[in-house]
Amino acid sequence: MIRLAQGDRNALEEIYRATSVKLFGICLRILGDRKEAEDALQEVYVNLWRRAGRYDPERASPITWLATFARNRAIDRLRSGRSRRRAAPVEAAALLADDRLAADEALIDAEREARIHLCLDQLEDRQRDSIRTAFFEGATYAELAERRAVPLGTVKSWIRRGLARLKTCLEAGE
Amino acid sequence: MTELERLAGEYALGLLEGEELVSARARLAREPDFAAAVAFWEGRLAPLLDEVGGAAPDPALWQRIVAQIEHEPGAELVQLQARVRFWQRAAAGAAVAAVAALALVVLTPDTAAPPPAPLAEPLVASIPLGTDAPRLGVTYLPERSELLISASGLSADGVHDHELWLVPPGGEAQSLGVIVPGVERRVTLPRDLAKRIGGGSHLALTREPIGGKPANQAAGPVVAEGDFSAI
Repeated sequence: MIRLAQGDRNALEEIYRATSVKLFGICLRILGDRKEAEDALQEVYVNLWRRAGRYDPERASPITWLATFARNRAIDRLRSGRSRRRAAPVEAAALLADDRLAADEALIDAEREARIHLCLDQLEDRQRDSIRTAFFEGATYAELAERRAVPLGTVKSWIRRGLARLKTCLEAGE
Repeated sequence: MTELERLAGEYALGLLEGEELVSARARLAREPDFAAAVAFWEGRLAPLLDEVGGAAPDPALWQRIVAQIEHEPGAELVQLQARVRFWQRAAAGAAVAAVAALALVVLTPDTAAPPPAPLAEPLVASIPLGTDAPRLGVTYLPERSELLISASGLSADGVHDHELWLVPPGGEAQSLGVIVPGVERRVTLPRDLAKRIGGGSHLALTREPIGGKPANQAAGPVVAEGDFSAI
């Protein structure tokens, strides 16, 4: 058995200290349960340990990459059925009280951040709301239709038209 | 928008389930075009995650992670570690730049207005938390009597809170408030307290019961200290 080298472990620990508060906030927002969110967060760092080589420094800042990674793990957990679907939308009180973002938690991609907000603002309300709910709460088409009390086809057409407009707008900014 | 791009967007948002999800995952593994389209959406949507506030996980979680990976060879983390360090420095630089930009706005001469009063410089204190752990960053903006406290390196243990104190030479310590782990806070200080802050002012962090020092008890042990100095 290979013993974990101390230097590598220190590298992982440094990354954990620098990023776990932000990534845990993301997992908690999607899973709505501390225990589930901690299990998802554990998966994130264990996966990172096993295959950090997937990180491509040309493509994204490390924190953007890790944030997306954490969101994807949390959504996988929701879909796998291992997680009981939460009853309440978000355990808001569990998130830290101050909504101001710590400077060193920001993704430091101000240009892209401005662009996505600009492009989302150009969508119709129902298109934007559906896309945001899917993104932040991990809602599926079926769940969105149920929440909005509209047929599945209606939600699909809102989102698909929204995505098409979003893509045109995002590409215009590049 | 092509059907592939649309499906990639639906997958990236997390809208799919059942057979559609299984089939999209299979395409992601097999088709570079589809993987690139998913990466496009993930990269463009990711900045929205800045809207989600941080939260401190159970302090025992790190030990659980170590226990799980202890006997496995690790991936190459050095490059990512270096990038995370660079990002932290860039972020700290951005915070200083934000303060500088603020000062610049105030200092820009307006010919129609009377000359502004001389501006007091912001003061910063960096308080180390343990040997190699992160720091508590405190910035004081004199012209606004505001304190910016960045406690992203501190995590909650569920049993204690930490309270920040201004310790004047020979005087009684004044509370600057309980520190909220993991966030940046902006606190406006009462005028008489703000007056007492200057270069060299000493700060101390104490460990207290949840909610801060009880009114009728002495402050808890000092766990970290630092001094204010000009940027």
